Amino acid sequence: MSAPVPQPIGLLAQYETAADILHAAVAVRDAGYKKWDVFTPFPIHGMDDAMGLKKSKVGYFTFCGGLTGFSFGMWMIWFMNKADYPLVVGGKPLFTPLFAFPVSYELTILLSAFGTIGGMFLLNGLPRLYNPLFNVKRFKKASDDKFFVFIEMADPKFSTEKTRELLQHAGASSVEVVED
Amino acid sequence: MNVFRPFLRLAALMAFGAALVFGPAAVAADHAEPAAAAAPAAPADAHAAPAAAAHGHEAAATAEPTILQRFAYSYLTAFMFCLSIAMAGLIFVILHHLFDAGWSVSVLRIAEHLACLTRPLFLALIPLLLLQGEIWRWLHVNPATDHALDVKKVLFNRITFNVVLAFVFGLWAWMATTFRKYSLAQDKDGSAIWTRKSRVLAAWGIYAFAFSLTLAVIMLMMSLQWQFFSTIYGVYYFAGSFWVTLATIYGLIRWLSTREMKPVIFPRQIHDIGVLFFAFTVFYAYIGFSQYFLIWNAAIPEETFWYVDRERGSWWAVGLTLLFGHFFLPFLVLLRIDTKMSLAVMAPMILWAWVMHYLDMTFNIMPVLYPKGLTITFFDPLCWFGLVALLASFFWRDYLKFPKWPQKHPRLKEAVTHHEVTGAGYAVEDT
Repeated sequence: MSAPVPQPIGLLAQYETAADILHAAVAVRDAGYKKWDVFTPFPIHGMDDAMGLKKSKVGYFTFCGGLTGFSFGMWMIWFMNKADYPLVVGGKPLFTPLFAFPVSYELTILLSAFGTIGGMFLLNGLPRLYNPLFNVKRFKKASDDKFFVFIEMADPKFSTEKTRELLQHAGASSVEVVED
Repeated sequence: MNVFRPFLRLAALMAFGAALVFGPAAVAADHAEPAAAAAPAAPADAHAAPAAAAHGHEAAATAEPTILQRFAYSYLTAFMFCLSIAMAGLIFVILHHLFDAGWSVSVLRIAEHLACLTRPLFLALIPLLLLQGEIWRWLHVNPATDHALDVKKVLFNRITFNVVLAFVFGLWAWMATTFRKYSLAQDKDGSAIWTRKSRVLAAWGIYAFAFSLTLAVIMLMMSLQWQFFSTIYGVYYFAGSFWVTLATIYGLIRWLSTREMKPVIFPRQIHDIGVLFFAFTVFYAYIGFSQYFLIWNAAIPEETFWYVDRERGSWWAVGLTLLFGHFFLPFLVLLRIDTKMSLAVMAPMILWAWVMHYLDMTFNIMPVLYPKGLTITFFDPLCWFGLVALLASFFWRDYLKFPKWPQKHPRLKEAVTHHEVTGAGYAVEDT
């Protein structure tokens, strides 16, 4: 087997300050790119809006998890106390949402949390063991003191010259091609 | 905008005048049954009738209420509604100082004004105290013949009742005035000493607030059925109060941010008040459910009768309306982050919160007077409009008179600079 020939997959631009990367993100967003991302050593206030990110969809997973938990709690207690093994406790009805509520409520919270965590991993594609960006030496600085923008070649607006020009115009200290 | 003030005062006067003039006529028309005609004179004796058993409330409840009682109960309901707003304003100020909060500096002056509404409410308490014989039936019951009252007579006797109410209203008015006094003093010299003083006051004030509010709510509302006891009752009232007041503050800052408060109100403040409003939707339900669930589970007659009374006639429907309208609807509507920013959603929500809180007060107070079901008389809207107009005129006077936000608060800069809320779908101003 011959080793695969590295193919270019996109452009990586390095920025020196948080303000630079914020403005670069605005520039890339306004240029209409879709397949790109920003890498910073720490969260930057306002980056979501600068990148034009929409509201996260994790909330829907949370909601579905919560709804499942609540319904399951209610069903479980109904099934156990009324359907499967009817048992009178303290002269109370065999089933009422009242005493089923605390348990259902706890299950709502538990499954909401599961939904949130599961949904997050599903949407962000983690865990991911390999990323072509790891091949770039300077990218290690993304967890230290440098800021990066990566634009994929797969983006319909991508053109090696124009994209490079855009990134440099936005104040990049270096722009390089990433290969995989 | 001083034009509003005399107008609101006039509205208050007119409402009370109309309540006195039209109320009796309307009530008489509502209850044209022949039996009712003879009733007005009777009830005074009815609650004096010896209630030998611990549950003498059933005997007293059957008498047809008099005009004066109808007015008194409507007034109490409106009063408790208004007290909610003032007290929640006070706790907002206390919490602001305790947490050393930054974002809420913009809203602080509004909360201070709301807290100072305890002062006109102190005046509005006087009619309640004059009418106390019409409202609190235990005042006519001899503790020697009523075990439930006998064990509570340390608290439930005429002298303690009046002294405690006068004291707690005095305390609240003093606390609210002092907080605002410190805040206004800081406007002038910008000294941090005022922040320090406010924090010291807030530190013991939060305990004073919790105990005094619980005591007042026990006296004003819970003792309407003196056999009943619920340790969570004060918290229940507080939860509903803070909820409706957050809705009110939300409405106020949305409106005032188009006017004088524009420089200090940012999406962050609006968003955070909205989030708190949502949180207290859940907290209210949590407390309301806890109270109901514990009483239901223990099934002790001394406690369950309170809910049994509230399942009779149309009170059952009112209870369910509260469950779905006070909790489920706002919960589902406010669940999404972006609805908290949308005026199209929030404006009806604020009105709805007011209606629901008033209904909650009605549900707590009125079944004592109208055991058969929800009864709405002319007095209800008139008392409500009268008191709200009175408070609104005081609020508006204060709002116009003083600087619109704490001018030299040490954290003012924080409140007006770090104001981005990510992911909420609206633009961020550069800092």
